[in-house]
Amino acid sequence: MNDLIRSAIAAEAEERVDSRTVLAELHKRKKRRKPFGLIVGVATLTATAAAAALIIPTAVKKTDAAPATNPPATVTAQNVLLLGLDDHEHTDTMVYARFETDGSVNVVSLPRDAWTGGAGGKKINGLFLDDPKSLTDAVERMTGTKVDHYAVVRMSEFGKIADAVGGVEICLTAAAKDKFSGADLPAGKSTVKGDQALAFLRQRHGLPMGDLDRIKRHQAFLTALAAKITKENALPLAREIGRTIRVDQGWDVLEFAQRFQGPVKIRAATLPVGDSVSTSTGTGFVVDPAQAKQFVEKQFAGGEPSQPGCVS
Amino acid sequence: MGFDQFVAERLDRLLRYATAIACDKHLAQDIVQNVLMRAQSKWDRIGAMDAPYLYVKRMVTNDYLSWRHRRAAREIAVERSELARHAPSTADPADAHAEREAMRARIAVLPRKQRAALVLRFYEDCSDAEIAQVLGCAESTVRSQLSRALQTLRSHELARSATSGVHS
Repeated sequence: MNDLIRSAIAAEAEERVDSRTVLAELHKRKKRRKPFGLIVGVATLTATAAAAALIIPTAVKKTDAAPATNPPATVTAQNVLLLGLDDHEHTDTMVYARFETDGSVNVVSLPRDAWTGGAGGKKINGLFLDDPKSLTDAVERMTGTKVDHYAVVRMSEFGKIADAVGGVEICLTAAAKDKFSGADLPAGKSTVKGDQALAFLRQRHGLPMGDLDRIKRHQAFLTALAAKITKENALPLAREIGRTIRVDQGWDVLEFAQRFQGPVKIRAATLPVGDSVSTSTGTGFVVDPAQAKQFVEKQFAGGEPSQPGCVS
Repeated sequence: MGFDQFVAERLDRLLRYATAIACDKHLAQDIVQNVLMRAQSKWDRIGAMDAPYLYVKRMVTNDYLSWRHRRAAREIAVERSELARHAPSTADPADAHAEREAMRARIAVLPRKQRAALVLRFYEDCSDAEIAQVLGCAESTVRSQLSRALQTLRSHELARSATSGVHS
């Protein structure tokens, strides 16, 4: 009976489709999929301005069977606005990043409570909800630069991101306990994931400088997260958060990704703001346009390296 | 071994294997395509293994045995069991071709894991240990799956011979 089984199975196997059909399909899918993989990779930038710089080269290497030996000459430096949304569609976190052709990244965090067009105008964190273009226009006016692209992610995804890399190491100058965000963290070094990672990023109440201190937390978190990204977890991580990320139309992600060929230098700083001014429409920081332009220009040209250390 | 080289050398073999376990060439094509796309994204790791083919075969097998294809597999099984029912009475038992087709139909209605074990043994010439690796189970489970499959096929074979005996 065994011979009969053998010949029956062989006959079944003989029915297979032509392997050339499959090869053609694989080839087609590879082409289709490449930009998708890269969008996921680039989208990760949104979530982790720093971390993604490491993910993309990995993604590129993995999807490209025959990697280009030289980046095409078309790669140009680009300014990308990376936005983190809270649960009410406000841009709670705004990171304005310049990606140089050599893969280095210079980052300026924009305080969410900055007035655009002077005190009593509109606060920057509400503009995206009205129209993404009104936000990019405001950033362009404020910084004197052109926003080439933007990408958006929900802040609530960061808990999962921290989980995906097995926790992110942070360091606090004082213990944090806050009922609004649910933060309950000890002073000194600790590793946060899930809800505590989210609380660490969300806590604004009880910090000496409020949102400005929180921005420092974001920068510290991103830097520490970048350190946890490895070749092994980069793609699962990109897949995990890629689903929830949006990028503007017309972003040639493939071209964008070409610049990342190796380790990435990241510098982060916060846009300097003036006094906090209260008006009938709310309380916010006044931004001196001339000072802002000068600061962004200097930071985008190289600026100071980020100082690792403990945050409030 | 590079991914492209692997595909060039093994694609046809993988398609045959997948078709033999799935008993549906289109389902087999889908499975192989999806598996190869996934394998490519982690080829750094797979390509460095001692037996990349065994690993990819395991991916194909898991894909087939996973819940996603359960529905499709059942539909095929029903269709084939219809054939199996008709095969003995309509075919000439002396005809080797008909005999083989009848066996094909009977194999197609075996439980999926038993069929996978059978294909691995009789088509891929795998040892118990290799089958255990591909199916992700103990060697003792492999032996029991195989013996149950053979028992079913044998009892059908006996029933068929008996029926043909009456007819001839």
